[in-house]
Amino acid sequence: MKDVFPGLKPINRRKFLSLGLQGGLALAATPALVRSLLAGEGQKLQVPDELLKKALATALKRGGDFADVYVENRVTRSILLEEGRFKSAVFGLIRGAGVRVIDGDKTGYAYTDELTEEKILRAAEVASFIATSGKKTQPVALKEQKRPSYIRVKIPLQEVADAKRMEIMKRAHEAALGYDPRIKMASIDYYDEIRDRIIATSEGVLLRSSLPLIFFIVQTLAVGNNTSHMGRERLSRHSGLEMFDELPPEKAAREAARESVTMLEAREAPAGKMDVVIQNGWGGVLVHEAVGHPLEADNIARETGAFVGKLGQKVAADIFTMVDDGSLPNYRGTTDFDDEGTQMKKNVLIENGVLVKYMTDVLSAKQLKMERTGNGRRESFRYYPIPRMTNTYIEKGKDKPEDIVASTKSGLYVQSLSGGSVNPTTGVFNFTCREAYLIEDGKKTVPVRGATLIGSCLDIITKIDAVGNDLDFGPGICGKGQAAEVTAGQPTVRIRGITVGGTRQRA
Amino acid sequence: MDYRAIAEQVIKICKQKGADQAEAYLASGRELSLEVRNGKVESIQEASSYGLGLRVISGHKLGFAYVNDFRPESLEETVRRALDFARILTADENNVLPDEPGVTEVRGLYDPGLSQVAMDRKIALAREVESLALKVKGITRSEGARYGESEGEIVLANSLGLVKSYKSSACGFGVGVIAEKGDQKSSGYESCQRRFFADLKPAAEVAKMAADRALEMLDPRPVKTQRAAVILDPDVAYAILGGIIQAINGERVLQGASFLGKKLGQKIASELITMIDDGTLEKGLASAPFDGEGVPTQKRPVVENGILRGFLYNTYAARRAGVKSTGNASRGGFDSLPGIGPHNFYISAGKMKPEEIIGATERGVLVKEVTGYGINPVNGNFSGGAAGLWIENGKIAFPVKGITIAGTAEEILNGIDMLGNDLDLNRSRTAPTLRIKSLQIGGE
Repeated sequence: MKDVFPGLKPINRRKFLSLGLQGGLALAATPALVRSLLAGEGQKLQVPDELLKKALATALKRGGDFADVYVENRVTRSILLEEGRFKSAVFGLIRGAGVRVIDGDKTGYAYTDELTEEKILRAAEVASFIATSGKKTQPVALKEQKRPSYIRVKIPLQEVADAKRMEIMKRAHEAALGYDPRIKMASIDYYDEIRDRIIATSEGVLLRSSLPLIFFIVQTLAVGNNTSHMGRERLSRHSGLEMFDELPPEKAAREAARESVTMLEAREAPAGKMDVVIQNGWGGVLVHEAVGHPLEADNIARETGAFVGKLGQKVAADIFTMVDDGSLPNYRGTTDFDDEGTQMKKNVLIENGVLVKYMTDVLSAKQLKMERTGNGRRESFRYYPIPRMTNTYIEKGKDKPEDIVASTKSGLYVQSLSGGSVNPTTGVFNFTCREAYLIEDGKKTVPVRGATLIGSCLDIITKIDAVGNDLDFGPGICGKGQAAEVTAGQPTVRIRGITVGGTRQRA
Repeated sequence: MDYRAIAEQVIKICKQKGADQAEAYLASGRELSLEVRNGKVESIQEASSYGLGLRVISGHKLGFAYVNDFRPESLEETVRRALDFARILTADENNVLPDEPGVTEVRGLYDPGLSQVAMDRKIALAREVESLALKVKGITRSEGARYGESEGEIVLANSLGLVKSYKSSACGFGVGVIAEKGDQKSSGYESCQRRFFADLKPAAEVAKMAADRALEMLDPRPVKTQRAAVILDPDVAYAILGGIIQAINGERVLQGASFLGKKLGQKIASELITMIDDGTLEKGLASAPFDGEGVPTQKRPVVENGILRGFLYNTYAARRAGVKSTGNASRGGFDSLPGIGPHNFYISAGKMKPEEIIGATERGVLVKEVTGYGINPVNGNFSGGAAGLWIENGKIAFPVKGITIAGTAEEILNGIDMLGNDLDLNRSRTAPTLRIKSLQIGGE
């Protein structure tokens, strides 16, 4: 049998290393370079331009405003080290294509697992039936475009031996168990993937790209003081294996272990309304949920969202500026262009408290007559794109984090959040704390058990009264019928009066 | 495509390449989903797809690979990848495949007529549920209505001679509406899922429920932070079931990561509580003749009159624990290794009518919505956001939003003092209306 994975042959690795040395610097993995490296990791994504053209013509033969063809090849690896054993490893090879037609407000979509001319044209045919308006659009001739890349890779994943990945996992495992005797178990989950995309649209856009992604999750179980706590730390970037030079696995492991052990001492959390200080980093998930989702333009176009009709209005405190930026170098929410081919860029959504922009995809931008912001994303070829966040954060302010705590008489200090959700219509949101402390007389004191924070988005952004100068980010998975890789970020912030779901009635 | 032949062919290649044991799990199917908003079709998505998950064991080491490309060269590559991965892992003698040839007879999993129902009728159903919900006084907007269906076949074969397959189908529709009053916005949703198209509820019933949910939450009032009775509507049963399902996961128990791990045979809940895991329920949305690795499914009590009777196991965890698999190997799809999960999981019905439970409650909240992660399976702590209807003197007084409820699993499960008779087994994880005598509520 023919070896369909020539990319793993040693010659390619040497060749790449020599390229890297000659350059003397980190290589920007341009799409062309990655493609040549990828040549065989999975079978090369080869769909002739001619077929893409035919598919677009078929898609629009019954009419419509817009059509696109999305072809994807995803090669994944995941390895689990748990209870001291490399328990399992999963290798995945998934490919397919989807064809979409937009006609007015309507979307027709069909996909196929088989990248044959027959099946791709069949998908185009099925999608074409949505068009009934009679509006005809002639597809623009496809012209392949090159775009700047925000993803720089030094050590390409497809060149890395599995033993190397496992070595990194072992380092994390040992660091976790070595942190404290109360750490009884560690679970190290390593995942990486390479996603190749071809995007062709009836507007003549033709793009090819290849995106590496690493997701590394450490969980540690601490047992003691008559309770248990599972701590967690996650690392993720669109990057090569050099991610672990900048973000050492041991550090992540010790962080998870520290959380686990600390929370064994947690007391009951208070219940009721109080001031809450949220530490910088993944705490930004609060604005991701509470403000980000309601600012996705699909629910604005449908006129159901909490922020409908509020463009240009003051919706938040003066010190509150919120940004979505899919072009931050190598961040988990970054891509060179979204899954509809729109260029990534920095989008300021709320500027000094004033709502200035919604996050759009092709359809919602058309419906609202607004610009495309690069937020049209999809989980895979099995889904059509919808407006999604990328790297979403609260812009840094001027306050020192320690001053924010010191000026808070009493309340809750939230060091990390698990995650949360929001009803985008009503704006009612909730979050669960992973690690939180009481604030007493301006000091962070004892840890308290994971409590829920709840509130309403329109309310909470008016109650943010301190914004730190220490912006940081954390990686996560956002779900909205389909999954998306995101980061959430924020500096340390204080929210005045938010409801905390503890078990202890305050005096 | 002949999926059985592919499965058997792949097993053969695995044996040739040196695998001690091999298992092929093929999932194939088609799906349709459509959305309607304000009477107009907004999207239609149709596709068929398939994929293979391949588990190999070599020297007690476990490798796994998946692929959705069934050309011979890709299948061979998948085998090689799985074996390569197996070689580098840690040997564990508990890595074995099951060899039970039987299947459980479960009726009503597949509706052969589903694909024969005309597309127009499916679109009409979504339109109807939306228009009926919009006609209800006070409802001002639609968030859209959906219809979706899927059907498919699972083929499972392993090198110990198992070859099993079954077909299943599911369909469902639902609607979301908004009630507006001044600055207030309140949303309500309802949906209905069934195995058979003919079993779907009438659109009018679903529409009314969605509209009622939006309307009943208008003009909420704040409540003080306090302890009071908490009645959970069947819609929010997941808030307590999710954490329990994770805590009875046999592998989690072995890892010492479950608050129920050392409670086997002990009282963990009020005597009113019996919890059943049932993979055999006729037309059940989580029923199947065999689990994710081919072990026949069963119906078994996990909690009986408050006593914890057992955990859920797949073959690997069962062997580690020295017990038999309970037929609870679960698969997220062809692309995942068998984990552990429940089938139809529910709290058995009690005797009280829901209105009797409300009538017997002096002060408390009938919870209609819970947000958050539910019970923490590791330590049993619970905290969630909630909304519902406040009860005073046995009567519904006003809606409440933006409250929290919190406690521990022990406090919640042992605190259940009333259990409703309104169990609806058309849902796969459910409970009747139940009352927790007293729980901490966070408000003003």
